[in-house]
Amino acid sequence: MQWLRDILDKVAPLFEKNGKLEILHPLYEATDTILFSTDEKTESGPHIRDNIDIKRVMILVVVSLVPCYIFGALNIGYQESLTFGLSSDWKTNLISGLLKIGPILAVTFATGAFWEVLFAVIRKHSISEGFLVTCALIPLTLPATIPLWQVAVGTSFGIVIGKEIFGGVGMNIFNPALTTRAFLYFTYPAQISGDKVWAIAPDGYSGATALSIPAGQLDANAVTLLNNASINTVFDFSWFNMFMGWVPGSIGETNKIIIIFSALFLIFTGITSWRIMIGSVIGLVFTALLTNLLSPYSSNAMLTIPPHYHLVMGSFLFGTVFMATEPVTSSHTELGKWYYGFFIGMLTVIIRSINPAYPEGIMLAILLMNAFAPLIDYFVVKSNIKKRMTRYAQ
Amino acid sequence: MKEIVLKKGHNIRISGVPSTDSQSLITSKKVGVSPNSFRNVKPKLMVSEGDIVSIGSPLFYDKTKPKVKWASPASGVISKISYGARRVIEKIEIKVNGKDKIINDLKNIENLQDASRNDIINFLLDANLFHLIRERPFNRVADPDKKPRDIFISGLNTGPIAVDLSKIINENKAALQTGLTAISKLTTGKTYFTSSQNHNFKNVENQIIFGQHPAGNVGIQIHHTKPIKPNDIVWTIDAQHLLTIGRLFETGSYDPSMTVTIGGSGARAPFIAKVNACVHVEDLIINQNLNKQKIRLVSGDVLTGQTISQNDFLGFYDSTLSILNDTVKRPFLGMLSIGNSSTKYSLTRVFLRLTDKLFNFTTAQNGELRPMVPISAWEKVLPMDIFPNELYRAILAEDIEEMEKLGIWECDDEDFALCSFSCPSKIDVGRVIRDGLNLIEAEA
Repeated sequence: MQWLRDILDKVAPLFEKNGKLEILHPLYEATDTILFSTDEKTESGPHIRDNIDIKRVMILVVVSLVPCYIFGALNIGYQESLTFGLSSDWKTNLISGLLKIGPILAVTFATGAFWEVLFAVIRKHSISEGFLVTCALIPLTLPATIPLWQVAVGTSFGIVIGKEIFGGVGMNIFNPALTTRAFLYFTYPAQISGDKVWAIAPDGYSGATALSIPAGQLDANAVTLLNNASINTVFDFSWFNMFMGWVPGSIGETNKIIIIFSALFLIFTGITSWRIMIGSVIGLVFTALLTNLLSPYSSNAMLTIPPHYHLVMGSFLFGTVFMATEPVTSSHTELGKWYYGFFIGMLTVIIRSINPAYPEGIMLAILLMNAFAPLIDYFVVKSNIKKRMTRYAQ
Repeated sequence: MKEIVLKKGHNIRISGVPSTDSQSLITSKKVGVSPNSFRNVKPKLMVSEGDIVSIGSPLFYDKTKPKVKWASPASGVISKISYGARRVIEKIEIKVNGKDKIINDLKNIENLQDASRNDIINFLLDANLFHLIRERPFNRVADPDKKPRDIFISGLNTGPIAVDLSKIINENKAALQTGLTAISKLTTGKTYFTSSQNHNFKNVENQIIFGQHPAGNVGIQIHHTKPIKPNDIVWTIDAQHLLTIGRLFETGSYDPSMTVTIGGSGARAPFIAKVNACVHVEDLIINQNLNKQKIRLVSGDVLTGQTISQNDFLGFYDSTLSILNDTVKRPFLGMLSIGNSSTKYSLTRVFLRLTDKLFNFTTAQNGELRPMVPISAWEKVLPMDIFPNELYRAILAEDIEEMEKLGIWECDDEDFALCSFSCPSKIDVGRVIRDGLNLIEAEA
């Protein structure tokens, strides 16, 4: 690869101070350091450093998302063939899925990179690798049929309003990928309409997600409704099938096995917090059991969903593993992470059950807790301060 | 006897660790003291070029505390005094010839048990060795006019390539006991000696600490014994300097010899040596064949030490000379590499690392400076009841009140060195902690 190194070294002066392309220095620097690891040396502090850097952290999250993309493509093709009543093999499913995902992914990355580079150039800071993860997450939260212009508008909103106006990666309050999702959800409800949240709608067909089936139903058991739907529609809403992911939904959310393996991988590498994930599962199970106990006193069918169904319905696991654990917007204290996770799980069930207009609660639950994470940290830190002050007073 | 068990921390497995079997003796032709390396000291010279000095005779004193003078670590001729910017005294070089020592009058200290605090302090001041004692907070040379709450001595080194203190302690128990008996008089509180095993020293509190680096840092030991409050003053002494004090009380003269380690990934032949304090670096690296290699020399360990050149001298409080390979490569698509035990070292598992073999560290930063992305990297290596992330932000905001609430008084930059080491955003947390301490110090 020496030839490539030579080319980069040869053009380097153009981008340096007083070079012709000085303004594009962040772009050159990003290309240079993505292709070849930086040769920066330590100056102050420890003379040696750990090999981990933000590039590695971000690229590993992106790698952990790749299986979701592959399964997403397979599932899109499969759902499409189900809807049209066609028989198909996995190859045609994969190809037809990739043809749907490809343009969404390309538009997301093109838009994301445009804004990231623009802000880096204007603000004269280096391009942050965080946008890679944001852009890799956005398509997975969208239905495959979303118009591409909406993807571009949503991504722009997520990157600019969700991140850049706060000062870029590390300064943002809300998860940029979820900001995109929320923006699209509230701005263009026709495409991701209220009762079809996170739903795939194959061409010319109005598909329903597992969560939208019991939503708004009265005096019925949710599991029975799902079983009826499995009989009356072409989709199979059994627990196992939802766990395996062969149901309508957003591109990346459906297969729970893949999400669990990605979670284990991220926890093993040490870059995401298992506390948030476990905390939010506990919160979900606890609150679901509570709604089950309350269900005899209400006609709301959503209250009857058992905890193990809650876990595999909708994008709870996807949101918990990839969105809630985003280090910048989550709680920063270890104890706070437990509370932060627990409340995400709890709010997910509450929003799902109580408000039939938003059958998918995880998006709003995470955004809400993003806003409250600093408050949780405040209380955790305050208890530490209180302990110290008591000691000082002695 | 108290036992402290630390769960957090990390012993860096750096290559170039000297074997403990052999110890060479190095006689240096030149030694040197850097007055500006002592924090907050305003030095005033007491010698000039060409003067003849003995071991123990004063070289300079501190204008803010004129009683505290610095003993010459060698006997010979002042060969050179070099100044830096704004006439800062950078180095006092002494060409060694002879072994003349100043013998202090021991009359007052005939019976150490009956000696008073003033006797001990005056004796240390007369020997020009009071700077062996440092004070916390701020980790600076102690003030003889102030009374410390407690005194802490760490009998354990956990830093990379550090000197193994247990051997030194076991071989010099009597002298160390003399030193402990003497300095325990300096406080109305307690004197704590913390080590990896119980040494049963008298007149002090013996403590045992279990855990990885920074378990050997005295700051961590203070934090887990009796944390520093605002307005508290705690004195600390290095174990090897305690030995120096012990010998001083036994013989009446300053013995400037100490054990140092020379090692690191750039060292060809790591070794342990008995040397004169403030030894000339060139004398230590003569057998390392470093001519063709690009290397960095560090006085102290690789986490907290200072870059020096071979014409410099080992820092007064340092007992390690670290040699690091200074050639940094640029692997193609390094961020996608799977990694292996010889190419990547991380406290996380973001690279494949199947064996625990010693790692050939270079001076590479391994990434660019980025805004903080808190993946708990700091918290995992800081065995203190402190929120590093919040403290860091309070310091950046220069919010002194918040810094105090978050425990800045209990902190020293060396305890946060591992946080800087493991930070994925390459933030130098330790330097920021020092900035915070400087702010508080300026305020106080």
